[in-house]
Amino acid sequence: MEYEIKIKKKSKYLFNDQWVWKMAWKDARGNFSRLFLFISSIIIGIAALVAISSFNINLQNDINLQAKELLGADFVIHTNKGLEEEIVSEIDSVEFPKASDASLASMVSFMTSTSGVRLVRVVGIEGEFPFYGKIETIPENAYELIKTGKFAMVDANLAAQFDVSADDSIKVGKITLKIAGEVVKIPGGGGMQSTFTPSVYISKQVLDSTGLMQFGSRITYNTYFKTNSEKEALALEEQFKPLLKKNGLTYDTVDKRKKNLGKALQNMYRFFNLLAFVALILGCIGVASSVHIYVKEKQKTVAMLRCIGASSWQTFNIFLIQAVGLGGIGSIIGVALGVVFQFALPLVLQEFVPLDINMSIAWLAVFQGLGLGLIISILFSMLPLISIRFIPPLVVLRTSIIPVVRRSKLRVFIVLLIIAFPLIFAYFLTNSWETGAAFFCALLVAFLALWGVAKLLILLVKRFFPFRWSFVWRQSLSNLFRPNNQTLVLVVVIGLGAFLVSTLTLIQNSLLNQVEFVGTENDSNTILFDIQPYQKEGVLKLVEDHNLPVNQIVPIISTRLLSLKGKLIETIQKDTLDSIPNWAITREYRVTYRDSLTHSEKLIEGDLHHVNDSSVFVTISEGMKESLNLEVGDRVAFDVQGVPILTTISGVRDVEWPKDPPNFIFVFPVGVLEEAPQIHVITTKIDDDIKSASFQRELVAAFPNVSAIDLRLILNTINEFFDKVSFIIRFLAFFSIITGLIVLAGAVINSKYLRLKENVLLRTMGAMKKQILYITLIEYSYLGLFAGFTGILLSMVSSWALTKFFFEIRFFLDYFSLLFIWGLVVVLPMIVGWWNTRDIVNSSPLEVLRKE
Amino acid sequence: MNVILEVNKISKTFRSGTNVLKVLDDVTFSIKEGETMAIVGPSGSGKTTLLGLCAGLDVPTDGEVLLTDLKLNALNEDDRAYVRNRHVGFVFQNFQLLPTLTALENVMIPLELRGEKDISNRAKKLLERVGLGERIGHYPSQLSGGEQQRVAIARAFISSPKILFADEPTGNLDDETATTITNLLFNINKEENTTLVLVTHNMELANHTHRILHIKGGKIESDQQMEKKD
Repeated sequence: MEYEIKIKKKSKYLFNDQWVWKMAWKDARGNFSRLFLFISSIIIGIAALVAISSFNINLQNDINLQAKELLGADFVIHTNKGLEEEIVSEIDSVEFPKASDASLASMVSFMTSTSGVRLVRVVGIEGEFPFYGKIETIPENAYELIKTGKFAMVDANLAAQFDVSADDSIKVGKITLKIAGEVVKIPGGGGMQSTFTPSVYISKQVLDSTGLMQFGSRITYNTYFKTNSEKEALALEEQFKPLLKKNGLTYDTVDKRKKNLGKALQNMYRFFNLLAFVALILGCIGVASSVHIYVKEKQKTVAMLRCIGASSWQTFNIFLIQAVGLGGIGSIIGVALGVVFQFALPLVLQEFVPLDINMSIAWLAVFQGLGLGLIISILFSMLPLISIRFIPPLVVLRTSIIPVVRRSKLRVFIVLLIIAFPLIFAYFLTNSWETGAAFFCALLVAFLALWGVAKLLILLVKRFFPFRWSFVWRQSLSNLFRPNNQTLVLVVVIGLGAFLVSTLTLIQNSLLNQVEFVGTENDSNTILFDIQPYQKEGVLKLVEDHNLPVNQIVPIISTRLLSLKGKLIETIQKDTLDSIPNWAITREYRVTYRDSLTHSEKLIEGDLHHVNDSSVFVTISEGMKESLNLEVGDRVAFDVQGVPILTTISGVRDVEWPKDPPNFIFVFPVGVLEEAPQIHVITTKIDDDIKSASFQRELVAAFPNVSAIDLRLILNTINEFFDKVSFIIRFLAFFSIITGLIVLAGAVINSKYLRLKENVLLRTMGAMKKQILYITLIEYSYLGLFAGFTGILLSMVSSWALTKFFFEIRFFLDYFSLLFIWGLVVVLPMIVGWWNTRDIVNSSPLEVLRKE
Repeated sequence: MNVILEVNKISKTFRSGTNVLKVLDDVTFSIKEGETMAIVGPSGSGKTTLLGLCAGLDVPTDGEVLLTDLKLNALNEDDRAYVRNRHVGFVFQNFQLLPTLTALENVMIPLELRGEKDISNRAKKLLERVGLGERIGHYPSQLSGGEQQRVAIARAFISSPKILFADEPTGNLDDETATTITNLLFNINKEENTTLVLVTHNMELANHTHRILHIKGGKIESDQQMEKKD
């Protein structure tokens, strides 16, 4: 007998099915504490993204608005050699308003309440600089005063260091000037630059009479032009371009400055974006893992709803609405938090950015944050949610039934989207497929490695299960592989956190170690430079009078390149196919001559510099060999103060630049340059601060043009700089770490619900509080140990690569820090685990069961 | 009286790797509207599996199940869910109330699912009928086992099902409460003229029905007609 099927259902979709909306609300309201973890995973990730994107957008706006004020003019010519006649006459022919400055490094004496000498940048200004923006000083008229030729003004940090007040004086070279005030802000200066090279500003006429501008002095000249329009500035650029290229001079325009600033800030953006990326991806894991566990817990509810007639899509929609709703709430809170954080960023970053950072709400970032939050909450909860559709109603009768998740097109589509998401997101953040792919690959490698370790851990524990161990140890070990285990999620989350933190720590330590190494291992810590030949004996006597060692006396000769491999520099400049950069062939090379290597260099190719009948053989540093595209045996002609000298490259040196300066790109053999005009550098070591101060005072008094670089002072400055940088790195990494911790806590707390009944059962059967606690603690310590170890191992590879290829410094493996991080990674999950179990162990089993 | 449930030569086989387990083997019976029947048998005899197949919670490997003239095998899972919502009620051993819903909300779900309006009064009346008029706002965790089962009974009857399936409805209750629940179940069933199929170990409970289907090793051992009950 055939039966007719009489099913006439009204089709109900998400938006016309009121019941699913009601049910989603009713079901969610009792689970807020558990769903909070879901929300918090999104909150921090979105907050990081919004804060960083808003900051980037605001900074870009500021660059656009302030580039002119930063340059102070429409067109600027820079050079570190005297201006050639043809350029001077070209400049004179221009009728636009002009200004100029000249600057050089020199020692100055502060005649203040805390008197002393200091190596500074002395800047002589001429004309109405700046044409845009202004020089902010305290008092306001300081800049007007220095134009009279009787005053100097100093950078604010110098004023603070030497406790400068209104009646104090400063000795620059041979001239003593009154201090007019301190410079708070100056176009192109201030901020971090004044930390490294604090400046003293005087009028250019005064600089000429200080006696500091001698042969061999490294003087930088800038000539500023103000035009009436962008078009005129462009025409000016076109007018000067060929001439400047020919003479190896550089120039700046407002557009160039914008681009350069953008480039300079690119690494900062990249680092920020990396942090936002990690925070958000961790958030995605958090979403996926909380929904996964949530759905597992909801199996019976789903089966019951199916039993009484809810369709598979209806049950799916209930939880989808919850995920989207919570994702929306999380995104809104995240965006709000991000906007608040964004205003905190300039407080820590202002010093590193040569701009006034003006923060306002960047609506683009806000909408991006909201949209991304929703996408993440839908995308990453979708896979666990799809499994809801496959929960059979029979589960209400038999809980042992495992839902069979069938392959569906939707499932495959979601998996593909989830794989593509990090790549697309990384591209969206970095605006470059290359960098985006690098982020994605690094993440993929870390994920795969951690996933592999988790799988291996489960496999090994199962395979070599220690049946003879005590109950507590066996139980905690078996928790790693039993159904509903959290091993995979926890290892990935903990491992990624450890990876991130230890990579940051290793890079920071490598950078600091580089600096400390310079300070501690060098033979010399004080370098006296710009010593004229007639001053050499006098300076040597002064060093000896102070009972100081003379470690090196190095002659320095200024040269320029005439030809490379027989090809004239002018020809190379005209050859558009030649890849040698213009700066490398037009710059001044300061060379020395000696017959041996110093201990900061190694010969890695060819022979040592020497002379024989056939040629003058010079050696070259490895880096410049690549820039100039030279090989051993190639011919290089130098212009040594007007005298051409043809040389042959005999060898290549690997130079450790920070070690025992001065170091050189080209080293000539003895017997060639002795008669050339030269200056000298003398290096010595002074261990005592007071001794150093008194020596420098006498040096400046007797030889005003000779300067002393105190490496210890530089070391302190760099240390301070790194302290600030590492604070910022930690401040920003905080986002990622907090997200990691939330995800970790979420995963651990979720596992609590899965373990609850079992632990209560153990308690019912007589397990002691201590035993339950130990089982939990040991389980999490295993996870921390393995995940931490893998994360740290990965971080060693990543930080090695970053130090070698990105920072180009020596990789320093700080075992102590790594052990500390490992310990932390083991202890943190244990604390969360302990926190979780405490209500189980402190209440009666019945009480806990009733709550459930 | 019309036949409401017809089970024709059904078998159910479960596979686990290479192992094949036949839980039900060639089972045939039918039940008329308003009739009550108990399925009894030892553990593992296939009682619960049979109940699940009759209620459309699963499909047989062979044979067919017709519920209210609808061939369940031919329906997909969502259509079977629709049939359950319209015609079937359930009472389970472990109550299966939704923990995040109050007693009243739990009772209302089947009708809400149908999209019906103004149902709270009906749900309240039913809760009063089962003696829980004062506890409508309580969550399952705030109710005793017996109270939870009363909520489940109210939920089962709110949609006026044609057939009610009960799986060990007193299995988790003490004797006194079990008696109360049994009386409640049979009284409402009689008032509503619902067909009742229950699975139980408890012969005292089984004796309340018109028929007892003895099942053993997946086969019907006997189909015993009981004395006419009022």
